[in-house]
Parts: sequence; structure tokens; C-alpha cells
Amino acid sequence: MSDPLANIRTLLVLVPALPLLAAVVTAVLGPRVLKSRAHWPVVLGLGLSAIVALMLLAEVNRHSRNMAHDSKLAATGHVTLWRWTGIPDVLATPPAAAAAMEKAHTTPPRMLPFDVDVTLRVDPLTALMLSMVTFVSFLVAIYAVGYMHGDRSYWRFFAYVGLFVFSMTMLVLVSNFLLLYVFWEAVGMCSYLLIGFWYQKPEAAAAGKKAFLVNRVGDFGFALGIFLIWITYGTLNFHDTTLSSGGVLPGVLGQIRLGDASLYVPGGLATAICLLLLVGACGKSAQFPLHVWLPDAMEGPTPVSALIHAATMVTAGVYMIVRCTPLFGASPQAQQVVAIIGGLTALLAAIIAVTQTDLKRILAYSTISQLGYMFLGLGTGSMLGISAGMFHLLTHAFFKALLFLGAGSVMHALGGVIDLRQFSGLRRKMPVTCWTFLIGCLALAGVLPFAGFWSKDRILAAVHERAHAVVAGYHSSFPVYEWLYWVAIGTAFLTAFYTFRAFFLAFCGPERVPAAAHPHESPNTMTLPLAILAAFAAGIGLTLEAGSWFDSFLAESPSLAALAAHETGPAGSHLHVAVLSTVVVLIGIGLAAFFYLGERTQIDRLAMWLRPVYEASHRKLWFDEVYDLLIVGPLRILAYLLSLVDRFLIDGLVNLIGRLPVWLGAVLRPTQNGLLQSYALAMAIGVLVLLGTLVLF
Amino acid sequence: MDYQQLIQYVIGDTAGSLRLFQPELIVCGTILVMLGLRVFNLTRRIPTWLVALAGVGLALTYALPWHHLATPPVPGSSREFFTGMLVYDNFTIFFRGLLLVFAILFILFTQVSGIPDRDDAADFYTLVLGSMFGMMLMASANHLLVIFLAVEMASVPSYVLAGMLKGRRRSSEAALKYAVYGAGAAGIMLYGISLLAGTLGSCHLPTMAARLATLTPPGTSDPNLMVLVLGGLMVMVGLAFKLSAVPFHFWCPDVFEGASAEVNAFLSVASKAAALALLVRVAIGFGTVPNRQEVSPPPVAVYQAIQDPAGASDQFQQEKSELIREVEMSEESRTDIEQSKVESPNQQMRPPDSLTSLTVVRQFMIYVIVLISAITCTFGNLAAYGQTNIKRLLAYSTIAHAGYMMMPVAAGLSLMNSGHPNPGAAEAFSSLLFYVAVYVFMNLGAFAVVALLRNAMRSEEISDYAGLIRSAPGVTVCFVTILFSLIGVPPLAGFLGKFFIFEALIKANTAPTIALLVIGGLNTALALYYYLRVIKVMTIDPPPADRPPVEFSLVSIPGAYVVAITLPLLLLMLDCNGLGTWTLNACLQLIPGH
Repeated sequence: MSDPLANIRTLLVLVPALPLLAAVVTAVLGPRVLKSRAHWPVVLGLGLSAIVALMLLAEVNRHSRNMAHDSKLAATGHVTLWRWTGIPDVLATPPAAAAAMEKAHTTPPRMLPFDVDVTLRVDPLTALMLSMVTFVSFLVAIYAVGYMHGDRSYWRFFAYVGLFVFSMTMLVLVSNFLLLYVFWEAVGMCSYLLIGFWYQKPEAAAAGKKAFLVNRVGDFGFALGIFLIWITYGTLNFHDTTLSSGGVLPGVLGQIRLGDASLYVPGGLATAICLLLLVGACGKSAQFPLHVWLPDAMEGPTPVSALIHAATMVTAGVYMIVRCTPLFGASPQAQQVVAIIGGLTALLAAIIAVTQTDLKRILAYSTISQLGYMFLGLGTGSMLGISAGMFHLLTHAFFKALLFLGAGSVMHALGGVIDLRQFSGLRRKMPVTCWTFLIGCLALAGVLPFAGFWSKDRILAAVHERAHAVVAGYHSSFPVYEWLYWVAIGTAFLTAFYTFRAFFLAFCGPERVPAAAHPHESPNTMTLPLAILAAFAAGIGLTLEAGSWFDSFLAESPSLAALAAHETGPAGSHLHVAVLSTVVVLIGIGLAAFFYLGERTQIDRLAMWLRPVYEASHRKLWFDEVYDLLIVGPLRILAYLLSLVDRFLIDGLVNLIGRLPVWLGAVLRPTQNGLLQSYALAMAIGVLVLLGTLVLF
Repeated sequence: MDYQQLIQYVIGDTAGSLRLFQPELIVCGTILVMLGLRVFNLTRRIPTWLVALAGVGLALTYALPWHHLATPPVPGSSREFFTGMLVYDNFTIFFRGLLLVFAILFILFTQVSGIPDRDDAADFYTLVLGSMFGMMLMASANHLLVIFLAVEMASVPSYVLAGMLKGRRRSSEAALKYAVYGAGAAGIMLYGISLLAGTLGSCHLPTMAARLATLTPPGTSDPNLMVLVLGGLMVMVGLAFKLSAVPFHFWCPDVFEGASAEVNAFLSVASKAAALALLVRVAIGFGTVPNRQEVSPPPVAVYQAIQDPAGASDQFQQEKSELIREVEMSEESRTDIEQSKVESPNQQMRPPDSLTSLTVVRQFMIYVIVLISAITCTFGNLAAYGQTNIKRLLAYSTIAHAGYMMMPVAAGLSLMNSGHPNPGAAEAFSSLLFYVAVYVFMNLGAFAVVALLRNAMRSEEISDYAGLIRSAPGVTVCFVTILFSLIGVPPLAGFLGKFFIFEALIKANTAPTIALLVIGGLNTALALYYYLRVIKVMTIDPPPADRPPVEFSLVSIPGAYVVAITLPLLLLMLDCNGLGTWTLNACLQLIPGH
């Protein structure tokens, strides 16, 4: 008998295994054997992994079609590699777990063990993420062959990339919050290593440190959220676990719990869990107020910016919130917070992006802003919004990777210069880069029919619908979503403006390059990925939109199936939203053309006229300064005070205590004098002492 | 009962026993083959280490640990053999397997490091396997005489091994000290054994436990008790010598400094593992009266009964056999038979088990072990301060570790006393086994690095390791990992081992074990200092200007060996369930009532 899921299981393990293998091979053989061929294992590994992931997507698609509703609540396929048992019987069964176990017709035990199933699972959500991650990383790896050529630590770069892709694929594959956290940290570590890849540069090292520290804040919240989940639900597994006693312990996102929404703890506890998870997501996905690390992270090599800080790792927060949809479903308040954070971030980042002059930083702020859009979509809490957020995640991955790689191509040509004030008019010298960059810009700005239009339009539509729908059981006196809708429209305008400002400044106008540079088109290894990504940036939106395959496929994911079932029919037409956003976008592009395509004199006058706004935007809304003043400064003072305490009080004590063992050691050492007679004596005394103590007591 | 029956019985028993004794027999056979090669001067043609490796490998395949330990033992599957001299249960299987695995790693290690040279190889491996044979007996001993013989069998070759570096004064001195010290300890132990045997009328551990149970009902003071305490302490001295527990550790630093790092690895790992196994055997042997469902009756007793019916007839406590019953009927006039009938746990009158009796005995052992382990651990760590020779430092480190590893025995005995025999006590003992398994890799790895660095830079002084990270980064990272594991830093294997031991101490939750927990925790902090000093010297201090470059790449056979030993320490955290299950299954049979 052949298991219909056997294929899926094999593919499932291969997807992360291939990059890991590639990374290990590169790390072992790279420095000595492979040297300038160090990219081969990783390029091959990622290519194969991408193929495998696409096959997996096809298999999952085929399977999810012919499944009954009930089984949709479980993962399409899963492989339990092993079970990691920390401590047996540690936690008294929490009420939520007991209720769910009774629902599953098993008697809850008195104590629950701490079991972590090392399980890989796949469902449509995971399959989509896997395909995107492996495919984009494959293209970026090819690009990096050209970009990183001749670097001192060529092999190290590829080893890190392989490790990153392994961690990222594992992050979306695992079926347990603890492991999710582990790989969450693992991608964070890869990000840290790659931001500081050129650690000789002080800015790069500082940026790496900043990313690391800011992420700690988010991860701290995430960890607390996981603790809270554990003491609430008694398990960290997504899936239902069979206990050794025979009972079934319903997982946090398992079949039993998904089948009955009442098994999710409502109220303040749910809100606390969700908000803590949100803090984690904000850190990783660079959302306000933890967004400050991402622009600085641009110090890393550009392929890294494209891969980790635009397409993949920063979307981990979005993935996590989508995965936890049922948890967020139990707390409309938390959902609202997600939407507000998303909308606010989208707007703030777009405002900052308008006046930046570093091309990569513009793109970084744009990434933050677009991630804000995704959060906004998720914050609507409707199937329409969540699917729109995921849709935007996918399209964004392609066009933002494209834009970053284009910027990298410019940097490559100009010898590392990326400041828009120092060059312009590159379109003749770098035609391929220019055209592909333009496609990326159109997609980002959201011009029909490029990818960004479809996904952004959907988010706007979802927010609009949420603003005008009455959600059962929850009424807000304040029209939050109405406001957010207009924020999103405003952001769309700003996005179009800053995107084309960057494009016009870089590629149009008189040809002007730094004196030392000899601009030239990049090698084929770099332009080929650009072309492929451009094709996707142009076409993927329409392809996925057509026939609404994406929606129905995504809705097969266990976390979303319940929500999709409750959704009332297909979403209505949102023509007016599309028209409005298109108009706004066109105005934005038009203004950018007006100010930057010609003499560029008007813009200075505008800047003078809007002096405070300009200043605010240019100074990135003083986020870094405010954080310095409010957090870093006080902490520094506190640290100094503590260091005084440490130096004089603690050190004194420690030195005192520290001298004790040395002194004792010095006292004891003469007993080991090498003379057998004294040893014999000590032995005899030892026996007598033992005997004496035992007689006395 | 006649001699005919007895002889028949002994023949049957021996035939059955030999089957259970296969791994040991194979080790013996290997020793004979190696000696034969030496006699017929074939060692030049056939490398001895290959013979030893093949022998040990074959023994391991017959020991079959993976076959037995993966599933919980069937109740009553523990059995005595060789007329009750040895016992065959999962605990035996575990330690036999562990020692053989260690032997394989050790033989490979000596091949990598080049000591012994070709001329000495035959002698060296003969001694190693001979000692190994003794250690395997220690793990399965069920009789005080076997215990004594096994300890001697394991020790005597060790004395020679310590002096293996011929022509070096320190080495010879170390060997002589070790031998004298060992002889002294053996003498005391033998005296203790004779006291115990004389008082209890037997050397067979379960029988002795049954007698003890009758002697120590709660609230009595028997004039014999003092003798028993003395005897027990003296036996403990022998064990403490093997464990290098304070104050019977004096041989350890001197021997470790004098002998080669290879021998140190052998002494510190195998010898200590076997000694711990023996400690558990003795603690369980005196601390519980087993209620085995089916046991082969100990024909030694039968034999003695026939020879000297008046003196030894009360050996009988296994009554299921018709054979025994016959004898007993003839002895019914003796009152202590009646008594042993009443007190014997196998009888219907006292059904469940003997955990309620023997509390006093266990309490006594708990106090002794707590006392010794606390002192050992603290002393070892303190004395390691200020050592300049890495082998001496590691010697004190092994002393301290002996202290840690004795702690779960106290915890297990406490759990038995507080009425949580299963699986609480078994889990406590299994934490010891877990630590020992981890310890094999940690200490073997540490001494392997020391030996290989000695080959590379001709020094064993810590100060000469300065700045090693620059010239030999790979091996330094491995060594740092091993040292961190010895400290018990997460996520390394040493942390897991310590964690489970401390968990057992917490679960025992009595004043002595909590005191041990505190002492263990403080000691872990104390230990940081001297391990970190080595790490600091290797990584932070600048390399001496006059040192020739150290050639030690990880891409070489020694490098690969070091990595292979270090990797398990890193990877165990990923999945420690397998080892946890094995160790637990190995211990379940120890506790009666399983």
C-alpha cells in the first residue's frame, strides 16, 4: 500500500535539509578547497530546494482539493522527527487544556509533561512561504555570485546564506512554538552575522549590534507570549499530541481546538498573549516602534538586504501572526492593535522615505511601510484581509528583492556609492538595471497591472470592508478602521511619490557619476536574476488574482480554515477602492515627475515652504534621537551607576570570596605532598573521622 | 537432596551462565590471543590494536545493549547466574555496553596519539582488556567476594599501566604509590568484607540484605550493629579509593601527573564508571531485599548446606524450588530458619516488598554518601585552583566529578526511604547513568586533547597553551567546548547531566539531599574559575614569542578524532530522549517492586 502522503513527507524533509547540507559543505570545504568556487554548493542546494518546494506546493495543492472539511483542520502532511522531552510531569493541567481534553473525550491527567515534538508540517500557508523563500534565495544566491565576487570571505557569505535559508524554511515548517522561537532566533542570528558581514567597517558592526539589541526587545515579548501560551494551554505544540498515558492533548493550533473556537481562552488573557506575540512580530518585522534597526541593517551586503531584510526574514512576523490567527481571533482588541500598528508604521515609514537620499535606505523604509500594509491587512481579522496580507507578502517579496538587487547593481557599477545626490541619469549606461528597476517601481507604487497593485488594492478593500461592516459582538465607538483606510490611501500616495522620486533621481536627468567610478552594466549572473524577478514583479499579481486560486488555496490552511468557513460568501466588488487608489498613485507619480524630472528647482522651494515637515522626514522623525534620549541615555547613566556599584561593592565582595578558595586551595595543597606515609595517615584519619561522625549522629 | 542432583544443578547453571557471560568471555579470549601473538612473535605482523579492537567490537555485538535497553524490562527478567555470584539485568547490560564502547573509543584514541608504541602495544592492550574485564565484573557483581576480586582485577593492571612510561621516574613513582595505596585500600576493604560476612553469615548480597532486615527492625540496637557499621565503612573505603573520593584520593593527582594522558583517560573514565556501577550495586544490594519472582536458587548455598549444615543453612531464602525445600525440611529444628522465613520478603506473609525494612541501613548509606560526596566535590574543586599542570588540574576535576556522580545515589536511596521507589528512585539512579555516559565523552575528549597537544607541542603545562587559539583554532574550540561541558554550561551535554542529577536531588527533597544540592550548585560556580582560567590562557593570553608554530589542523586524523568526541557533547541537547530512556530502562530493575 502506498501512502498518498509519502511524497509530501519526503519533499518536506528535503526542503530544509538541502540548504543545511550546502551550508555545512561550504563551511567545511569553503576556506581551503572551494575558495572562489564556494558558491556552488549553496547555489545548487538552493536551486534543488526551490524545485522541491515548488513540487511540494503542487502536491499540497492537489491534496487540499479533495479533502473533507474536518481534515482541513490538520496539516496536509507532517513528519515527526523525534520528541524532545524536557521534564516529565511539570505543569498542573491548566483549565483550558482540561476543557479541550474533555472535549476530545480523554480524561485530563493531573500533571502535563513538557514535550516538544520536533515535527515538520506543511499546509498551504507553509507551502507558499517555502516556495517564495527558496525561490527568491536561489535567485539572490545567483546574483551574489557576481556581486560578492572577489570578496575576502566569499565562502563565509554563502555558508551564512545557506544557514539562513535552512533556518527560515524550518521557521515556517515547524509545528511548535518553542521551535518556532528557536528558528526565529536562528534567522535573527544569521541576519546579525550578515549585517556585520564586513565587520571591519565600524558602521556595519554597529548596525549589526543595533539590529541584535532591538530584536532582543521584540524577542523578549515573544518569549513571554510563549510562556503565557504554555501555562494557558498546557502545550506548545501546534498539533494535537498523544500523551504516553493514551490521552490526546489538544495542540494550540490543533484539529480539536480549531474545530471549536470556544476552546480558545477569550478576554484579557487572549489579548495579553496576542499583544506579546505582536511585540515579537514587531521586532522581527521592523514595525513601529521597533523599526529602527532595519534602515541601519542596510550596511550589510546588498544581496542580504534583498533576501533577508526585504523578502524573507522580515516577513516572519507576518507569517507568525497569520499562523496564530485563531489566537488573534479570540481577541478583537489585539487585532485592532495589529491594524493600528500596521497603519501607523506604513504612514510613518513612507513619510521618512520621501526625503532620504540613500537609495537603499529609501527601499528599507519602503519595506517597513509595506510590512505595515501587511499588518494592516492582518489586523482586519477577516479572511479577506489575511489573505490580502499574505498576497502582499508574496508580491512584495518579488518586487522588493528586485528593487534591492537593482540598487545593488547600481552600487556595484559605481564602486559602492549609493547616495542619490552623487549620481543621476544612469539609464543609458545600465539599461537592464534601469528597466527592471522601473518595473519594480511600478509594482511597488501599485500601478495596474503590476503585482503590487493587486495585493495593495486587496488590503485597501479589506480595510474598507472592515470599516463598514458590523462585526458581531464587538463595537467600537471610534471608527478606527475608517481612519486606517484613509491612512492607507495616504500611504499609497506617498509610496508612489518616493518610489518614482528615487527612480527619476537615479536613472533620469543628466548623466552624472562620481569621479572615481566607471559605470557599466553588471555581469550576467546579476542581470539574469533581475530579469526573472522583473517578470514576476510584473506578472505574479495578475496570475494569482485570476481565478481566485490564491484565496481558496490559502483558506485550506488549518489556521484559516475555520475563519474561511465563517466568512460570508465572496467579497463584493471594490471598484471604487481600486479607482481611488489608482488615482492617488497616479497623482503621486505625476508629482514626482513634476518635481524631479525637470530642472528640480521647484522641489527646493517646496522644501523651504514645508520646512518643518521636510526636516521631520529628513531626520527620520527623530526616532533615533528620541530613543537615545529616552532609553539609551538613561540606560547609560544607570549602567554607569551600576558599574560603580559593581566596581566597588560587588568586585570587592567577589574578590574577597574569590580569595577564599585560593587560600583554601593553598591550605589544602600541602596535604598532597607526595609522601606515601602522610597519605596513609590521612586515609586512616579519614576512616576515623567518618566513623566518628556516624557514631556521634 | 544428594550430590548427584547438586552436580546436575551446577552443570545446568554453569551452562546457562556461560551464555550470559559471552562478552566477558570474548574479552578473555582476546587477551589470550594477544598473549599468544606476543609469545609467537607475531606482533610485528599483526597489529595488536586491531586484535583488541576486533575483540572488543565482537564483545559489544554480544552484549547487545540496544537490543535490551530500548524497551522497559519485563518484570522478573533480572536473574542471577554463576550460582548467584553475578547478576544479569539491564544495569549490567548498560554498563557492559558503555565500558565496551569506551574501550573502542579508547583503543582508537591510543592509536591516534601514538602511545603505546609498537613494542608495548601487546602488553598495553592486554592490561587494558584485563582491567576492563574486572570492571565488567564490578558492574554485575552480586557477591562480596566477586566485588573484591573484580576491584582487584580492575586495579592491578592499572598499577602497571600507570608505570607504563618506562624510564621516567615520575611514572614509576606514581605506579608504586598507586600500588601501595591500592593495596592498603584493598586490605581495609577485605577486612570490612570479612566483618560483614562474619556477622551476616553470607557474602551473597541479597541474602545479606535479608539478614540485615531481620537485624535492623526499626527502633532496636543490636550489639552487632557497630560491627556492621565498621564493616560497611571499610567496604566504602575500598569503593572510595576506586572513585578517588576524598580522603582516599591522594593517589589520584600524583598518578595522573606521572602517567601518560592516555592512561589517565582510561583511569578517569572506565575505572570511575565501573566504581560508580559498583557503588550502586552495593547500595542497592544492602539497601533492598529483592523479591524476584523466579530466581535460580543459589547452589553455593546448597553446597555449603551439605558440607556444613549447621553453619550455613540459613542461606536459604529462595523457597520456590523443590530442591531447596527438601533441604529446609531437614533443618527445621533451627530457629533462625523460622526467623528467616518470617522475615524473608518472598514469603506470602510479608507480601509487598522490603522497602519498609532496611530504612536504617539506607539512612546510614545516605549519610556516608552525602558526607563523602560533599567533601569530595568541594575539595576537588578547591584543590584544582592554582594547578599549573593540565593533567593535575584534570585529576582534581575528576575528583570533583566523582563527588557529583555520587549524589544521585544518595537521592535514589532517599526516594526509596520516602516511599517513592518507582519510578522516582529509578529515575534518580538513571541520572547517574546519564551523567556517566556523558562523562565518558567529556573526559575522554579532555585527555585526548591533552595527549594530542602534548604530541604537537611537547608540553602539558597550562601556561604553554597560551594563545593557542591563533595557531590551532579548531582544537582550541573543541577543548573549550569540552571544558564548558565539564562545567555544565547549557546547551552542552554536561549541563543536561548536571540538570538531571540536581533534579533527582530536588525530587528526593530531604534535608541531606537539599544540602547536597546547595553544595553541588556552589561547586559548579567554584569550578568555573579554574576551567575558565585554562580557557582564558588559550584564547586571550598572547602566545609566547619563542614557541614554534603548533601544527594541529582539524583536517587530520587526530583532528577528526577530537571533533568526533566533541560533537556528541554539542548534539545531545537536540535529542536526549534516547539516552534518557536507555538509562531509565537500565535502572528500573534495580528497585524491587518493579
